[in-house]
This record gives sequence, structure tokens and C-alpha cells, in this order.
Amino acid sequence: MRLLDLIFNGNDLVYERVEKAVNEAVEKYGADKAVAFPDTAYSLPSYYCMTGNKVGNLGELKDALGVVKSMMTRNQRLHDGFQSGWATLLCAEFYEVLKYIDGAKPYEAPYTGHLSDAYVREQGVPLVTGDIPGVAVIIGPAPTAEQGAALVKSYQGQGMLVAMIGGIIDQCVEQGVKTGTNVRILPLGDDILSVAHVISVAVRAALIFGNITPGDAKGLNEYTMKRVFAFVNAFAPLDNVTLACGAGAIAMGFPAITNDYPFSVPKSLIVQPDVDKWNATSLEARDIKIKITKIDIPVAFASAFEGEIIRRGDMQIEYDGSRVDCFELVQTKEASEIEDHKIEIIGPDIADMPVGSKQSIAYIVQVAGKNMQSDFEPVIERKFHSYLNCVEGMMHTGQRDMIRVRVSKDTFNAGFGLKHLGEVLYARVKSEFAAVVDKCQVLIYTEPEQCTKLRHEVAIPTFDKRDERLNTLTDESVDVYYSCIMCQAFSPSHVCVVTPERLGLCGAVSWLDAKATNELDPQGPCQVITKERPIDERIGEYEDVNEAVRKFSQGALDDVSLYSIIEKPMTSCGCFECICGIEPLSNGVCIANREYAGMTPIGMTFPELASMTGGGVQTPGFMGHGKHFIASKKFMKAEGGIERIVWMPKDLKEQVAERLNATAKELYGIDNFTDMIGDETVAEDPESLLAFLEEKGHPALSMEPMM
Amino acid sequence: MPFTAKSGKFNAKINAVSIGTGDKAITIGGENVLPFYTFDDAIENPPKVGIEITDGGVENEPECIQKCYEGCASVVDMAKKAVTFEGVDFLSIRLEGGDPNGKNKSTEELIQLVKDVAAAVDVPLVVCGCKNVEKDAELLDKASSALEGKNAVVLAAKEENYKTIGASAGLAYKQVVGAESAVDINLAKQLNVLLTQLGVKGQSIVMNVGTASAGYGFEYVVSTMDRVKAAALSQSDATLQMPIITPVASEVWNVKEAAASEADMPEWGNQEERGIDMEIETAAAVLAAGSNAVILRHPESIKTISTMIKALV
Repeated sequence: MRLLDLIFNGNDLVYERVEKAVNEAVEKYGADKAVAFPDTAYSLPSYYCMTGNKVGNLGELKDALGVVKSMMTRNQRLHDGFQSGWATLLCAEFYEVLKYIDGAKPYEAPYTGHLSDAYVREQGVPLVTGDIPGVAVIIGPAPTAEQGAALVKSYQGQGMLVAMIGGIIDQCVEQGVKTGTNVRILPLGDDILSVAHVISVAVRAALIFGNITPGDAKGLNEYTMKRVFAFVNAFAPLDNVTLACGAGAIAMGFPAITNDYPFSVPKSLIVQPDVDKWNATSLEARDIKIKITKIDIPVAFASAFEGEIIRRGDMQIEYDGSRVDCFELVQTKEASEIEDHKIEIIGPDIADMPVGSKQSIAYIVQVAGKNMQSDFEPVIERKFHSYLNCVEGMMHTGQRDMIRVRVSKDTFNAGFGLKHLGEVLYARVKSEFAAVVDKCQVLIYTEPEQCTKLRHEVAIPTFDKRDERLNTLTDESVDVYYSCIMCQAFSPSHVCVVTPERLGLCGAVSWLDAKATNELDPQGPCQVITKERPIDERIGEYEDVNEAVRKFSQGALDDVSLYSIIEKPMTSCGCFECICGIEPLSNGVCIANREYAGMTPIGMTFPELASMTGGGVQTPGFMGHGKHFIASKKFMKAEGGIERIVWMPKDLKEQVAERLNATAKELYGIDNFTDMIGDETVAEDPESLLAFLEEKGHPALSMEPMM
Repeated sequence: MPFTAKSGKFNAKINAVSIGTGDKAITIGGENVLPFYTFDDAIENPPKVGIEITDGGVENEPECIQKCYEGCASVVDMAKKAVTFEGVDFLSIRLEGGDPNGKNKSTEELIQLVKDVAAAVDVPLVVCGCKNVEKDAELLDKASSALEGKNAVVLAAKEENYKTIGASAGLAYKQVVGAESAVDINLAKQLNVLLTQLGVKGQSIVMNVGTASAGYGFEYVVSTMDRVKAAALSQSDATLQMPIITPVASEVWNVKEAAASEADMPEWGNQEERGIDMEIETAAAVLAAGSNAVILRHPESIKTISTMIKALV
């Protein structure tokens, strides 16, 4: 027999049973007899929401049964299976409402039966917020009472709402599991048809919280699929009636997990023989993420500890990447390769090391997620610095394979071990990157030989690959740019357009950062900007970019170019790392960085330049930018590029020399370009600068006039 | 050539949001012109003025206000008295005693008070939290439930707790959700978007875009309100068309100009007058910048502001 036929059969069995019960009731009480669930304004909630019709008495109930019959089509198509599933759930609701005739109280403790509107509202709020991460509906007896109780408790520990039907209830009672609405464990009833009561909760949640119009069956299924994180755990043997109810649940978007069944349907009917794994299987199937509210470590965790310095004399241990092999790394893995919250320490722990010694460490955080991209790895990794520094008595500096981590004696004596380092990373990554990380495990290596091997075979190749990716990431190779309006609080009309080759002018937001920010916070400051309609490739002007800038500046700015300092230059908020300004005498530009306190050949200091450039206004001839942008091939490309740079402070020149020289070599074949660029030791006025440039044969002198 | 005045009315308008029920219900917003620009088009719903009391009762008020509540033995008595002052359109109860870093009153105690106050008055109600985001999530969730059917304003949902308060006040119990952000048009807009994505109707949201006492970074407040109204009206930005309600009292009565006694600052003159002046100045300015309602504390300020509004609209 095919799966669909089994569902149809289950549906038929329930229909017959309910039809008989309704007929008997009509015979006994007459068609005018009122039927209603107590404490609800939604009549028979599931039927009302599916059809838009309320049922008030037995006669109407009998008519409703006719409507349900019409849903029970028997074509060999998925749709018929879902409709029959829903028909089964509606029949269950009819059957249950008969029990409440004359204000009867059909359910006695521990059973709850029907749940009131007030309860739905009360539990609905935490369901909407995710404080209740999901709803588990458990049907039938587990293979052993211990397993059943353990499963229920595992869900309870995660803050879920658990609804139980049938044998599992007795097992929980036997194992002494507390049940009731106050502990969010609901023994609905003994009969499978009591499933109607939990379906009714989901339906009323859609009516109350989803503003679903009664009768909008499609909207209902969509809402429950997207917003009600419920799933079914049904223990074998699965009879056809349970299966038919399950088909209804699947129609609502709730996957069913069972331990033994000849059929399975990907993502919908999942067979997991090992009941101990049901929790993880269910959460993954329904895409439920558990909020982590507390980090399990023996010392405090707060940003107050971020700047804490641990002196040599106070340290229990030091992991020092400048002396021995150390590294930190985020790796993207397949979900099946990761056991969530596994923290494994391979090698000796802090306690096994001499006090005050210098040791090797390598911690690898492996993550998996449907929305995870390897581009986010460095974004996550860069946060480790802040995470570990927030631990009381822990200091972290550097990144990649140049890290240094110190743990204080006090923190060690409080019971801190490497496991806790893993806990911190796990908890922070899972909560801060919940949008992209579904599963996370931490591996911590401390054997020196292993750290050396992993550093050279795993870490360094990964870092090299990332650098290569960054180098090959050009404005032309991507489909979208990002806006950044983080600074609008104080610079209301400024919008940064972040491209791979032009990072935000603050130097803190690269294209990858902006991309990750957008993914993590879709309504946040970084929004996608398409670049499909170029106006002028030379200055980097696009219709779509202009539209975005207009929108995000609330109409203050009409158009910007990405690569020109003279034509429609990008605005600045005030956070710029550097300011670049035209120096007319030498036909080039001078760059001053924020740290530079002296005079520039333009005749203005950095603060004076800043007052010209900031505030979200376009000032042709002046441009704020990040340090990293100086070596970009897109640096004022429209005016000839980096060849125009004639002056920058010595410190800044040293910081950018390597990359700038490489770009100059590549673009113009000039060796040691920075030697041709003046600095404050050469000149602080245009005339002496010009003399210096002439002596060096600076290319800007022979270029076309900028203005 | 004859001069023909050109109307500056916009095609877009601010949402009209009703607060409260029955005869005393009020509506704020609905205008399609800049604040008080009645010469451009009629402003159907003039800005409204609310009076603030707290769970701390009479003792919690500045001395100069205490005398206005003479004879009031309880917060409920205060509430009854407060709504009788001239110009009061609605009552705001601030549950500041709930702050875990302050008196840390229990949610049950405060919610009982809210119920008692609600039963004692018939004007529209605003319930303000204690400014602690976790406690507010709990307090305002319960307050929304306790005030079911009253169509009260729940002030406020912030970015940290908007889900709980939005779901409770906006979805489960159909109150008006106050969306509070900190003097930044983008944050205000983001919160409105998040609330509407949660399912709260835009027509059930009012904004508190943040405020300060005049002279205390107040230009940020004014420019934020200006920009919000400009975006809502001239750019038809539906995510910013929610009316603005500004709690002025809780800012003003804490600054030294209002709080310093005459004994400490003899050259500043009478303390009560200073407090009233600060409250009136701040309220008048936020109304001119676009607030559709203000919440004040001193009966004298309320009377003055209400007179001002009547004179202008």
C-alpha cells in the first residue's frame, strides 16, 4: 500500500467514528443542542479558521461534517494527502467538542483537554518572541518510560512547550515528571483525537498573533509553517489514524519524527531509530534555535573586564603565538559533521601546566548553518578578541596565528579551565550569530606538536586563502554593494557605499563586514545596493546607487560617484580615518590621517580639513576615507588613481607602504612609489613639496590638470 | 499680479490613532501638514496633553506639585484628582518603582495598581514602564493583559524587548504599542519595521522618538522629530507615519534648573516657576517639532500648553 492510501484509510476510520458520534449526539440531544468549547471566542477554532464558519449547535456540526467530507478527495496527489490530514484534525475537533456538551468537564487531572484563549494569549507572547523556542507534540508510549521522561525533560530544559497524547503521559507520571500548564508540559488526553486541543492552540495563535482572517486556510498553513515552531514526535507503531493526524500536522508545516516506519518523506516524515537523538533531530528538522541566556563559567563575563591587563606575576598561564605555535580559527562544516555544544580538549588543560609557563594553544570553532557562508568566518573570528577579553581574569590580544592569551591565577583558582574558554566561544557565537550559525562545536588543542602541525597544515593555508579571496574581491566581481548608515545619528544625511575595493571611511566596515551585518540584522544599518544600471563607469556612478543614496539620506543627497574626488564625491560623516585633499600646485593630493597633528601642504591641519569634509555634504576636492583604501586600485580612479598621491604623514606612509608600493608596481610599473611621496620631514608647504617632487620625478607632475 | 498663497499640504499623512474608549477617547495624528501649519490645511486632531503620576504617589512628586494633590491618600486618589485638572486629555501612570535597581516593586503589586487606577478614571490611559528593559517586558506584558479592552498606550517597546511588548500589547491584547528609540530617525524607523514584521499594525503604533529637557542636547531631539515628520510627509515613508508621543515630565523634573531648591540657588529665583518654565518650554518645542502628544506633570504647565494648542489649532 502507498503512504497516501494509509493516510486516506486513517482519515476514513476517524470520519466514520466521528460521524457515528455526531449522529448519536443529534439523536440524544436534538439538532438545536448547543456545542462549544469553554473559554474561547473562536467557536471550534480549527474549523472556524479553516472555513470562516462558526458552529453553534449539533445541527451545524452535522453540516460541518459534510464540509469536511468534501475535503476528503482521494486522488494520488500530495494535496489530497494534506487535505485528508486536515479533515482528520477537524474530525478530531468535532469529536472532542461533543464531550463538552452541557458544560461537562470531560478531562480530569493530569489531563488538560481544551485550553482557554487566555492560555493561548499568555503562552503566545513568549512563543512569538522565541522565549518558548518551539512546541513538541509527543504521541504514544516511548520504548521505555525512562526514555520517554528523558525526552520530555530535554524539551522542558530548552524552554519548549510540550503537549503529550496517549502512553507517554502514563510514562511521565510513572517517572515523576511534573506536568501541568504552569510547567509547560500538557498532558492533553489519552485518545489520539485529543490532538485537536494542541492544533487548536496553533490555530488560535495564528488568529490572534498572525491576524489571519477566518476562512483563509492558505494563510493559516503559511503562518503556522513560518511562525509556529511545532513538530510531532510519534512513537512506533504508527497506526493509520495517527498517520492521518500527522499528515494534517505536516500540512501546517510541522514535521513528524518516528522511530520505526516503512516510509519516510524528507523534511516531513523522518525516521530516527535512536529515540535519544530525537531532540536534536526534531530541532534540526524544524529549524529551532535555542536561545543561550547564560554562559556556564566560574567567573564573571562582562564588557567591564574588556580592558583588563594581566601582569606576568598574576598569570597562571600564557599562550603566546609570537613564541610558540598558536592560532584561533573558525571553520564552516556540514551540519552532520558537528555535534552542537561539543567542547573537546585535546591535550593537557591549564591545571596540567606549570604556573606562569608559556604554552601552545589552537582553538578551532566549527560552525554549520543554512545561511552560513565562509565569508563570515573572519567576521566571527574577529569577535573572539572581545569575547575572551570579557572574561574576568583573561586577556587576549592579536588575531589569527599571532594571538596571546593570558589567564590570571585568581581566575584559574576559581575553577576556570579550557572547557570554559570553549563555553564562552560557543555561547557567544551561538547567540550573536544566531542568524547564520545553527550548530557549533569547539576543539581546543594544546599538544605543541599538534598545534605546530595544525597551524601549518590547516590554519595558515586557510588564512592565505582568505587573503587571496580579499585580493581577488573587486568591485567588478560582485553583484551588490552595501549601504552603511551607522553614523546617521550624528551625521543625518551621510550614507557610505561600501564596495569590496572601497571600505567604509571609518576603516571598520569592509564589504564582507557589511554583508555579514546585513545577513545578521536584515533591518539594520547595512542594506543591499544593486549595481545593475551604470551611468558612468569611469567615475563609478550607478542609477541604483544614486537611488539608494537618495533613499537612505532621506533625500538630502542626489547622486554620488564611487571613484572620483571631484565629481559628486562620496560624503563623509566625521569618522574618517584619513582625509584626502587636492594640492593644486603639484597637481596631486595630500592625505592626512587622524593621528597626525601637524600642518599639511594644503595649508590645513587634520581638524581643519575635517571641518570641510564631514557632516554628510559633498565637498568636491575633499574626501574622507579609510587607511586601507589608500592602496586600492579604485582610489580616486577617475582622476588617475594613486599616482596623484604627493604627500602623507610619515607614520601613515609606513603603515600603507607595502600595499601601496605593490599597487603602484602593478598599475604603473613604479618601484618603491612611497619614496616619491613627500611627508612632514620633507615639506609642510606646497613650494618645498613641489621641489621635492620635481627632484624625485613624481608622476603627478606630468599628469593632466585635475581642475 | 494678485498673490496666490500655495498650500504646503502633503499627499501623505500621519496615521490617526485612537486611544481609550467611550466619550473620553482621543485621537492623535491624522494631519497632512507640518506641526501647527493650519494655514496649509486643517489639523483635525490637535495635539493632546497628558498628566503623569507614578506608583510612588504624592511623596514621589516634586514639592511644588505635591500641594496640588493635597488630601490624596493613595495613587488612585491622585489619579482621580489628576484627571480633573484643566487641559488634561489623558492620564499616564509611570511604574518607576518596578526598577530592579530602585525599589524593585513586584509586578503583581504594580499591575494591581494599574487595574485600580484604570477602574477609577475614564480618560484614556498610558502605562509607562520603569526603563529597565527586562522588567518592562514583564511589567508591560502583564499591564497589557490587565488593561484588555481599554485601548491604552503601552510605553514603550524598545529594540531589546519589542518582541514581548509588541506581541503582548499589539497582538494579544490589542492595545496601542509605544515604540521608543533613542533620538535617531533610523532607529525609530527600524523599530517600526520590526514591530510591523511581528504583525503589529502600523495604525496601532505610536512613537516616542526620544526626548531631553530643553538645553540638554535638545537640538538632537528637535532635528530627529523634524526629519521624522519630513520623511513621513514629504517622502510618504509609511514606516515613519506613526504619531509621536513625548514624555516630557520625566526628563524635565530631573534637571538642575527644575530640581535645585531656591535655598541652594537663590539667584535662580522661585523653584516652582523654574520647573513650570522648563516643562512649558520643552513641551512647546517638541510640539512645534512634531509631537502629537506630550506628557507633563505640573497642572500649571498643562493648562498653559493646552491653552497654547487651542490658540494655534
